[in-house]
Amino acid sequence: MKKLISLVLALVMLVAMAAVGGVAEGFADSYDITVWVPEEIKELTAQQIDTFNNTNQFGIKFNPTIEAVSEAVAADNMVNDVEAGGDIFCFPQDQFARLLRAKALDELTEVFAEKVAAENDANSIAAAKSGDVFYAYPLTSDNGYFMYYDKSVIPEEDIDSLEALIADCEAAQKYFAFELQTSSWYLASFFFGTGCVSEWVTDDDGTFVKVRDTFNSPEGLIAAKGIEKLVKSPFHLSSSKADSFESNAAIVVTGIWDYELAKQILGDNLGVADLPSFTVDGEEYHIGSFKGSKLMGVKPGNDVYRQAAMHFLAQYLTSEECQLQRFELKGWGPSNLADQELDAVKNHPGLAALKAQDPYSVPQGQIHGSWWGIAQVIADDIKLATDEAGLQAALDKYLDKINELFTLDNTALLFVGAWNGWNNADTSKTYYLAPKADGSYVLTLDVPESGYMGGRVVNPGSWDTDKGFAQVTEGADLIKDLGADNPDNNIVFAEPGNYTITWDGEAFTIVKN
Amino acid sequence: MKRYSDLEYLRLSKLQKFLYRLGSFLCSIPVAVWHGIKKLGLAIWGFIKGIGLSVAEVVTTFKYGSKPTRLSYFIMGAGCFAHGQILRGILFLLFEAVFVFYMITTGSYWLSMLPSLGILGPTEEKKLIPELGMSVKTTVYHDNSFKIMLYGVLTIFFIIAFIYTWWVNIRQSKTAEKILASGKKLKSGKDDLRSLVDDSFHKTLLALPMTGIIVFTVMPIVFMMLVAFTNYDGSHNGYSNNLFHWVGLDNFNTMLSWTSNTGAGTQSYAATFGEVLTWTLIWAFFATFTNYFLGMMVAMAINKKGIRFKKGWRTILVMTIAIPQFISLLYVSKMFAKNGLINNFLIDMKWIETALPFFEKASWARVTVILINIWIGIPYLMLTATGILMNIPQDLYESAKIDGASGWQQYSKITLPYMLFVTGPYLLTQFTGNMNNFNVIFLLTGGAPNNPAASNSAGTVGYTDLLITWLFKITTGAESQYYLASVVGIMVFVVVALITLVAYSLLPSIKNEEDFQ
Amino acid sequence: MSDVKVQKAMKQHMGLTASRRISNTAIYIVLTIMSVIWLIPFVCIVLQSFRVESTWQVGYVIPRQWGWDNYVNLAKTDFWRWYTNTFILAILTAALQTIIVLCMSYTLSRFRFKMRKPLMKLMLVLGLFPGMMTMIILYRVLADLGLTQKNSIPGLLLVYVASSGMGYYVSKGFFDTISKSLDEAARVDGANRFKVLVKIILPMSKPIVIYTVLTAFMGPWGDFVFARYISMGTSAGKNVAVGMYDWLSQDQIGKNYTMFCAGGVLVALPVTLLFLFLQRYYVEGVTNGAVKG
Repeated sequence: MKKLISLVLALVMLVAMAAVGGVAEGFADSYDITVWVPEEIKELTAQQIDTFNNTNQFGIKFNPTIEAVSEAVAADNMVNDVEAGGDIFCFPQDQFARLLRAKALDELTEVFAEKVAAENDANSIAAAKSGDVFYAYPLTSDNGYFMYYDKSVIPEEDIDSLEALIADCEAAQKYFAFELQTSSWYLASFFFGTGCVSEWVTDDDGTFVKVRDTFNSPEGLIAAKGIEKLVKSPFHLSSSKADSFESNAAIVVTGIWDYELAKQILGDNLGVADLPSFTVDGEEYHIGSFKGSKLMGVKPGNDVYRQAAMHFLAQYLTSEECQLQRFELKGWGPSNLADQELDAVKNHPGLAALKAQDPYSVPQGQIHGSWWGIAQVIADDIKLATDEAGLQAALDKYLDKINELFTLDNTALLFVGAWNGWNNADTSKTYYLAPKADGSYVLTLDVPESGYMGGRVVNPGSWDTDKGFAQVTEGADLIKDLGADNPDNNIVFAEPGNYTITWDGEAFTIVKN
Repeated sequence: MKRYSDLEYLRLSKLQKFLYRLGSFLCSIPVAVWHGIKKLGLAIWGFIKGIGLSVAEVVTTFKYGSKPTRLSYFIMGAGCFAHGQILRGILFLLFEAVFVFYMITTGSYWLSMLPSLGILGPTEEKKLIPELGMSVKTTVYHDNSFKIMLYGVLTIFFIIAFIYTWWVNIRQSKTAEKILASGKKLKSGKDDLRSLVDDSFHKTLLALPMTGIIVFTVMPIVFMMLVAFTNYDGSHNGYSNNLFHWVGLDNFNTMLSWTSNTGAGTQSYAATFGEVLTWTLIWAFFATFTNYFLGMMVAMAINKKGIRFKKGWRTILVMTIAIPQFISLLYVSKMFAKNGLINNFLIDMKWIETALPFFEKASWARVTVILINIWIGIPYLMLTATGILMNIPQDLYESAKIDGASGWQQYSKITLPYMLFVTGPYLLTQFTGNMNNFNVIFLLTGGAPNNPAASNSAGTVGYTDLLITWLFKITTGAESQYYLASVVGIMVFVVVALITLVAYSLLPSIKNEEDFQ
Repeated sequence: MSDVKVQKAMKQHMGLTASRRISNTAIYIVLTIMSVIWLIPFVCIVLQSFRVESTWQVGYVIPRQWGWDNYVNLAKTDFWRWYTNTFILAILTAALQTIIVLCMSYTLSRFRFKMRKPLMKLMLVLGLFPGMMTMIILYRVLADLGLTQKNSIPGLLLVYVASSGMGYYVSKGFFDTISKSLDEAARVDGANRFKVLVKIILPMSKPIVIYTVLTAFMGPWGDFVFARYISMGTSAGKNVAVGMYDWLSQDQIGKNYTMFCAGGVLVALPVTLLFLFLQRYYVEGVTNGAVKG
């Protein structure tokens, strides 16, 4: 189906091009641009841009300076100084929100967005979007992790059980490398395995407004017990480097990028598999993982033709053709749907292991930059804990810090309702008023049938009474006037239904949908 | 605390003597701090008074001065021209011209924007490309908060410099008249130039270094302090997303409040700062003194009579200085990893069963970094101590030997006191240097192991993090909280400055600088 | 002197030499152990640089296959460009920084003028600020001057040299030890201040000049934080430390680790050689200078 859509789109584009005569007049003779890509695809990218220069139907020519900048560093540099940053750059998904907030990503308009949406898998699409707007091009869909192991140490039948693996490692005096203590990215795997979530919501500008996090729930405690088993083993190693195999590791949990290295070190002894399960109170839990993408971004600018030209280039560099080249040369797992169907891609052992892990993995989505630092210390805390209460305390502490992130920002507006028990702290029970460009705040909510359908707008954690009934200027017919029975200035809906509430800074407009 | 007379002091036992000295040291701290503050206060008062007097002088000069002098109030250098000092006159006039030109063209703009740090952020617009039938977003950048702050402050500096020069110009005209009235000759332009390599040679020599220091050390520090009063961070980078603005003392309130925002599990910034500061001081103490004493011992061992290959031993040790730390320390840190060379070797030898937690446990990691720091520090100290030891007058030892002093006595009565006296200031710079020893901690542990309690939304804090590495983490962290880093930077300065102030008023060898010449 | 006394004295003397022999042996043992500890990391790095059977980190020290591959491979990267960048930077820094430091320290040691003490105090205070935060500000200033990214080498030179006046302590200490009567004698003979500096003081200051040159020369080779910030992902503007530091990133360490070691050896080479030849002066300089601080 998706293939069909992309075909149709391509045809439409072709017709459109033919209609305007193919070449756009406004493009300059050539554009000097800086492209930041990881060192290993530097040469390939140069060739690809060359191909683009020779084949694109608009006659766009680029004169590129290609710099080897690894993905994480690229994001750091862009945030430090957007002005001096690369015009086109690659970055890992977890940096998306940060880059968006620094306004280092140009929006993908119309055809660009449509093509991305049509040709890539759902996860990578979600990774490149904020709200409904695309800000980046999916480059890979392989940013996840799985298990590499040494077949000479680990018997095939043990690879499904964490406990058996730990026992094998301890017996052989070899290390089980799983970077739980220094990386939240790996740490979260156990929590996802027991069904915990940490879901973050951004507004259109990439500002985080809401989080639903259940790491301190009973399921979280189970995950903590699983982590405890591993981190308290003397043969746990907090590392995700495949070269650990050279220094006494038998198992390393890492991503596809280490496949070649692991293959070179272990040769035929290399085994790859999805992550194992752990058992708590007789129940088995398969360890989860993050599933993410690498992305390519275009820097904003004020020359409309230059921006368009760069988008065409980025579109090409992340196309089916280029993704396949990167897969063939460097083993990068494509996000392009057509590429994913190819036999070569399907049969790649590393990508196969990643695929096996797929059912247990969680799309990375957008995550607050501070979360990585906050979650990072959970494993350290678990290691120090002596009993169950200690484990729970570690998780509670984590959640406190998350809450701190949001109470810090007390300019946000929340609608709190009587039907949710007047909870102004739990983000899953409040309604967030999304800020708009014109300075207003908008919320669309369902008011359920209940005896008292009242509520009002407050800042997080507070009980202000200055944004309620008295401030409703339009739509007063939809709410009840309780007079003196309404000391808290609540907005009390007359009947249940779907409403849109707009706050312009001084007054409310309420519309029933 | 009771003060002993010399005689009473001599009668005390060794322990009592030590306790007495320690006590009087501790007692002198508040006094030293008080003296420091008093001095600072007096200096500020003197400065204000000086300005007041100058203003008064300027006013009276205008009332009673001669025509050329009064003309200098408006046209700088007028007095000089009138008195035939053409070179000086030209320089004054040129300076005034440049100043006026700058203020009119750009200076006034920066100055007017300084209070707001910018009004208009970037604007976005979707523009249509007609021939493609599609629109593309364009972004236009406007104000730049950082540049406004930078040039705004530079303009203020420039104005101050101008006022000063203006004042000098008036004074010179006035003194020139006095000199002429007494019948003496004024300095010609040639004389002025000649004095630059003679009487005013120090001005020539200092001109370049001081310009450099002012532009690349003083200015950045001033800006750093100013950032602490803004909300400059990743969300307000002043250019591509949001402009930043002045926020007064808000950041200091956040940093210095002891209550955390949510209570329960998280720790306040102040508590974290205290924790990191404590370790920083412990680290600086051990890093300084282990190196000092061990380095001295190594130097003495190599210098001992009858030890051969002196140069060879030294060269081997000095290799650590020659190889950049980012190479050697990274390698050393890998050696001490859980699966590193050392642990693997010890396990292979069956000396231990499971790996030693060099960088895994707080106390182990702290001891390990101090030990590895000895490896780095001894060569420097060895070189310094070698020279000093050679300088100790040999007859002191000869006479000690005749009196039958043992080796230990010679060391504790001659070598150590001499070394301590001579290297006092050096020790102090070592101490403050170690407090800010970024490389060693960053390359060896990166702050690890994590300190779960102290880490908060500003970033992860580790047990081996020094204030300076913490500052780095805040700066480069996900939120890029420059303003917070700036506050921490100021607080680090306050702490280090207090220590220095106290130490300086206690150390004997600094006060009498001239004694050595 | 009676026979008994002579015998006693001889015995004492022999006892002394015996005990000295024992203590010297102990010192030799300690020094040998220390030398081994001090050399291990360097020997390991050198050995790694000759390992050709694999390019990543391994758990053993002695290479199974030896070769020059890693050194040859350096030429395929931008290494030599970074190396040249750093070398030029180091030489210019050494030259200019020495001039600045000598101007500063000589003035503060020899002249007595009104602002001298306040100046010294100011610089003491400035030195107490942690340098980390000013990094961001210096970046912005340099970016405004166009001295970042591909022009970072001149930018770095400017920053290194401009702030070097702060490090005047050691050489001021050295100048303090040169007797002032020399200056005064020359002044009486009609030499101006400039001549005194050039004709009398400088010839006597070989150790401190060499010490300053050496420390200034060493600095640029190891700067991987500030230089990295300034170069902002532009290969042409990297110094060797920044370029090599990137080889240790997750995606490159498997391929480039042994090359990193080879690069490390080459970086250490000029500084080590200089140290070997100039050690005597370095010791003299630091001795006479640091003592006074």
